[in-house]
Order: sequence, then structure tokens, then C-alpha cells
Amino acid sequence: MIVYRRIVFLMLALFLGSCSTPSGVPVAGFVDLNRLEPLPTPFEQELHPLKVAIAAVISPQGTAESYAPLLEYLSARLNRPVERVQRRTYAEVNELLRSGEVDLAFVCTSSYILGKRQYGLELLAAPQVNGKTTYHADLIVPVDSTARRIEDLRGKVFAFTDPTSFTGRVYPTYLLKQIGETPEDFFARTFFTYSHDDAIRAVAEGLADGASVDSLVLDFALKRLPELSQQIRVIHTSQPFGMPPVVISPDLRPQTRAELEEILLNMHKDGDGLAALQALDYDMFVHVLPEDYRSAEEIESQIPLEEATP
Amino acid sequence: MNQTWRMLVSRFWDIAGSVNVRTKIMGIVLGGTILLSMVLTLQVHHSLTRVLEEELRARSASIGRDVAARSTDLILVNNLYALHQLLLETQVNNPDVRYAFILDNNGQVLVHTFGEGFPAGLVEQNRAAPEDYQHTVALETPEGLIWDVAVPVFGGKAGTARVGISNQGVRRVLFDLTSQVALTTVIVLVMSLLAATFLTFVLTRPILDLVEAARAIGRGDFSQRVRRWANDEIGELAEAFNQMAVELERADEVRRERELLRRQLFERVIIAQEEERRRIARELHDSTSQSLTSLMVGLRTLEGACDAPQVHQHTQELRQVVGQVLDDVHTLAVQLRPSVLDDLGLSAALDRLVKEWSRRHNVPVDMVVHLGGERLPDAIETALYRILQEALTNVARHAQAGSVSILVERRQHDVVAVIEDDGIGFAAGRIHSDGHLGLAGIRERAELLGGSITIESSPGSGASLYIQLPLAQPADAEEPAGIIQ
Repeated sequence: MIVYRRIVFLMLALFLGSCSTPSGVPVAGFVDLNRLEPLPTPFEQELHPLKVAIAAVISPQGTAESYAPLLEYLSARLNRPVERVQRRTYAEVNELLRSGEVDLAFVCTSSYILGKRQYGLELLAAPQVNGKTTYHADLIVPVDSTARRIEDLRGKVFAFTDPTSFTGRVYPTYLLKQIGETPEDFFARTFFTYSHDDAIRAVAEGLADGASVDSLVLDFALKRLPELSQQIRVIHTSQPFGMPPVVISPDLRPQTRAELEEILLNMHKDGDGLAALQALDYDMFVHVLPEDYRSAEEIESQIPLEEATP
Repeated sequence: MNQTWRMLVSRFWDIAGSVNVRTKIMGIVLGGTILLSMVLTLQVHHSLTRVLEEELRARSASIGRDVAARSTDLILVNNLYALHQLLLETQVNNPDVRYAFILDNNGQVLVHTFGEGFPAGLVEQNRAAPEDYQHTVALETPEGLIWDVAVPVFGGKAGTARVGISNQGVRRVLFDLTSQVALTTVIVLVMSLLAATFLTFVLTRPILDLVEAARAIGRGDFSQRVRRWANDEIGELAEAFNQMAVELERADEVRRERELLRRQLFERVIIAQEEERRRIARELHDSTSQSLTSLMVGLRTLEGACDAPQVHQHTQELRQVVGQVLDDVHTLAVQLRPSVLDDLGLSAALDRLVKEWSRRHNVPVDMVVHLGGERLPDAIETALYRILQEALTNVARHAQAGSVSILVERRQHDVVAVIEDDGIGFAAGRIHSDGHLGLAGIRERAELLGGSITIESSPGSGASLYIQLPLAQPADAEEPAGIIQ
């Protein structure tokens, strides 16, 4: 009888054992998915953080990675939290600056020009790269392309970066205007990548037959990925333009402005600051003047940015 | 415990053994099929469950990773609308996704698929470390088991993606599949039932034929032959059976012939015996008695012719002796073959026999004879006479009876005789081995004429002998009854 009962029990156990959670994953707990409650409101930070926006010159992940050391340095020096704000387009960042929702921003040259015209956006500083405070636009094509000049790209696919990007959109449009063309008519198809490194990648992978990109970004990319030189070719280099600056919101308190200026202009002097600068390939931050952006303004005036949004 | 087990086992064998061969075979086939089907179904269910659950878990990790990858840029640029759309799309493209939500790097919910409100306690159930590929836990919910996958977004710097995968889809598939397998099992079962029926029919048909044929042979019908259905062992059994039947038939033939011969011989012996007796009786009556009578007359003459008293005395003695011898011879002749049997019939002969026997042995005999006045056939009369004569001899020799009763009655189609004594009886079946043919002889005589003998006796309660002889010739007699003259 005992043997009989044991056999039955064994069979039942085998049966039931096969019904439990397979692959031995622990059951963490019990949740009733139909019992819904309103989400708690996020807690207010006691210390008001400094909000820093970074325009999408390079892709959001690249931006976050590269600027992290700099922001940490700022936070340490200011002794207050620094909140990184990113947006998809330059225009959004400009809006945030205008409304004071961000205090400080690293923007593109044309963003500054537009902002200055629209609501008096002011310069704080600009990075110096390789001893220069200027940069230019590089026109790139796939390495096996036969194009030598922008005229050779007729009827091809062209990649822009941001609608308001200076090197990425304004400049190539200006080039075409010189030969009496518009991008809509000249190219077979155009599209926006919203960042320069994505535009470079598009050309390298053959998605686009050409693009115009920020020389700083291109140099940075070539340095990081040497094989890129096997995939793309530069067919045209523009004249120098003013370096993409660091700008501040009109609402920023003068005290904070002075602090930031002081930190930025001197950060190359200490170890952490230098490391943060090197993460971005910057030598240091320097003063700049609105006059330094005259050449860019001239070109931009021919391609009004207000009409540039698609 | 042991006893109960043994009792169960023996009960089982009792039941299992007593069902017929057909049921046994069908039982085996069905039992086997059912067992196979059950095991298969269980095995399929078990394996399938494991495989599908594994696959679901792998898929949930993959979905979670996908959501995390695609939400990275959206989280960084704070595009909450697109983020929400991403989650909704994920749910649409993967029906197993029960819920999905994104946490920022502070653990606050950015977007989710629950609509109005969020389940309490869900966020805390799972956590992913920044270096984790993914982290899965199982959650119990009223709807069943949910795999909750947590994937760090951008190394945890942008936040965490969480996806909840329900296994209801899998369970439904399992159920459908298992019920299909079960249905197939039932269909196969029905089919194998039919096949088993056919199989048992094929197998047992020859066996049942053999049973019928064996019974027929038991009844004495040796002409039965069994058809050889198949070239297997049962077919060989059928062959052997047929040969046996042939042999039995032959042996039966031989036996019948011998029986016939034996009967004929017996008949001849009896006829010869009766002839001899008749002849001797006649001889005794005709010549011996005559001679003795002459001797008697001569002695009387001698006695008259001589006056010497010595001569008278001797002749008296001699006459007595002769007289005795005459009597003895007469008795002997009568015993051998009573002429009264031939002349006056059975009734009178029996009368004489019984009177003589009763007198000699001093045992009263009560006899009733109803023959209807007509003579019976000679053979019957002789047989009855001899049988009763033998029976009386036996009673005298062994029974130590106080009285005997005899009944002889002629009926419509036969004649019956009963002789009963109140003696010491005997164990029925014992054959007296004393030189007489005894009971065996009585039985032979009766059977020779197509009749029968029944003996009832047991020690201490007397004996009765019941004889039945048919009057008409038996219709299917294979040997003609000898006519005893």
C-alpha cells in the first residue's frame, strides 16, 4: 500500500513539476495590472539646476557622450547640478533659449545668427580648435564617385543635416544659387539627417551621393574612424566661417553669466577641465565678437533662414 | 499490505483470464493504443510547453532590447510623443506584449501603455544594472504569468525600457495543439478499434472453428474437418486436428468392426451355448432318462423275480439311487434348457424357475408377470429367462437376502423386468469375478438385443436390477440381432 501510494505521488509530482515556471526564472512578485493609479509627480529638485542645451550637431548619443565630461566639470565648478537638454532640431533649442527654459547652449553658427536677429541672442564664448576659431564646410561624396564639383551632383541624392544648419544646408543652397539652381530642382532627392555625423555616415554608406558637413565634425570622425577615409572624399572646401559659439539665454542672470564666462575661458588651465576639452577635441574657449560671424551672415542673408524650415 | 496486493493481482488475473480470446486481443490492442496515445500527448504537451516558453522568453528579451535601442535618441531629445508612439507600435506589432513603459534615469515613468493610470508597485518589481544586457523576472498577475524585461537605455544614462510579455498567446497555442493531438488520438483510437475488431475476427475465427469441431468429435461425429485459414501456427493446428480426426475416424471404424465381430461372436457363443444346452437337455431327456427308466424297470423286475431278502434290500437301494439319479438328470435337463420355455412360454418357465429356486434356497419370492398372454420373440424370452436365472443365482450366492421381488411387464414398445432383493447389497460397479459371466454377461445379452441394464445398489441397502428390452427391431441397428433358436 505504501509502495502504491508512493508511485502515485511520484507520477503526480512529475506531472505538476512540468506545469511550473520553466527555465527556473524566479517569480519576483505579484502585480495586478488592472489596478491603475495616477503616477506620482516627479519630485522637485531643491537646487535649481543649470540647464544646458546642446544643438544636434552630432547625433544625440554622440552629443551626450562627448559633452558629459564638460557638463560634469561645470557642475563641479558651479557647485550645482547641470541638466543636459537635447532637442531634435536647432530651432527647438533656439526656442528654449528665447523662453529662458535653458540657460546656456552650444549651438550652430546659423542658430546664433538667427537668434541674434530674432531676439538678441548673445555670445558667451567659442571653442578654439587646432589653434583656429573658424571652421568651414566640406562637400563630401562617396569615395568611388566621379563628381569633382557640386555641378557634377546634378540629378543625384543629397543629404542635408538640420534645416537651419549653416554648413549643412545654408551653404550648399548658396552654392547652387550661385549657379542659378535650387536644391529641389537640381537634386533628384534630398533628405534631412538632423546631424552631421549621420550625414557623413549616409554618404559613406552610399545612401546619399553627396552632403555638406561641418569640418570640425568631419575631422573628429576621421580621427575616430580612420577607415572613413576609404569611404568618402572631399570635393570642395568653403571659406572660413565663425566657430559655432556658446550662447546664453537673454534671461540669464548677469552673475551666472560672469561665472560661466570665467569658468569656460579658464578651464584649459586645470586637469579636469583640460580632459573635458580634449573629449571634444577643443584647445580652449576664447572670446568672440559678433564681427567674427560677418562672412556667415552675408551668405545666410541670401538664403533667409526663416524660409528654410521645410 | 502484501496480502491486499496479492489479492488484487489474483482478482485481476481472474477477470483477465475469464474474458474470451476476442476481448483479450481487442483489450491488448486498445490498451496499447491508448497507452501510446496518452504518453505521446503528454510528451508532446510537455516538450512543446518547454520549447514555446523558452522561445517566448528569448523573444521578450529581444523585444525589450529593440525598444531600448529605438528609444535612446527619443529620450535624449525629449520627444515624448514619438516615444509613446514607439511603445504603441511595439504593442501592435507584438500581440504578446502586455505592456511597455520607459523610465528616465531617475526612475520616473516617462511614457507608458496603460492609458489612464499606472499599476501600483510595477516599477519596483524589476531593475537593470547599467552593464546588463537585459534583466528578466517573472510576475504573477491575475491574468497569468508575465515576463517583465528591463533593458538599460544608453547604459542607463538615458533611462530604462521595460516590457511585459504575457504567455497567454503561448498557452492558447498549446491548448489548441494539445486538443488537436487529443482529437487525433481519439480518431486513431476509433480506427484502431475497427482494426482490432477485424484482427480479432481474423485470429479467432479458426480457433472457434476448432472448438466447434472438437466438440463435434466429442459427440462422436468424426466427419468434421477444419478449414486451414492461414499458414501460421493455427493453420498447422488445423492440419494436425484434421489428421487426428481422420485417425479417429479410422480407429472408430476399426472399433465398430471389432465391436461388431465381438457381438457376433458373443451371439454365436450364446447361440452355440443354447444349442448345446438344448442338445444336452434333449440327450439327457431322450436317451439318459430313458436308459435310467429302463434300468429302474429292470430292477423292479429283478426284485419281483427274486425272493431273497438280501436281493430285495439291494434292489431297493439301487432303485433309490437310480430314482435319485433320474431326478437329478431331470433337474439338470430342466436347468440346462427348460422345455417349458419352448413349449409354454416365458411366464410359465419363470413360474417354474422361481418356485424351484425359492424352494431350494428357502427365500420367498414375490413375482408378478404381465405379458398380455402373447408370446414374446424367442430371443427376448430366452434372454429374459437367462438374465433372471443369472440374477437369482447371484442373489443366492452373495446377497444373503430375506426376500426377493420380481416384476416382468410387457409395454407398448418394450418389455421391462425388475428384480429386487433386500440383501446386503454391493458397491455398484463391482464385477463378480467367479467364473460366471455375471453382470457383464447380463449386460451383454441385453445390449445384444438393443436393450439396457440398470443396476442400483449400495452396501447395506439391497440391490435392484432393472432390465429393458425393446420389442421392435431398433431402427439404426448396425448389427442384426441374432435370432436365438
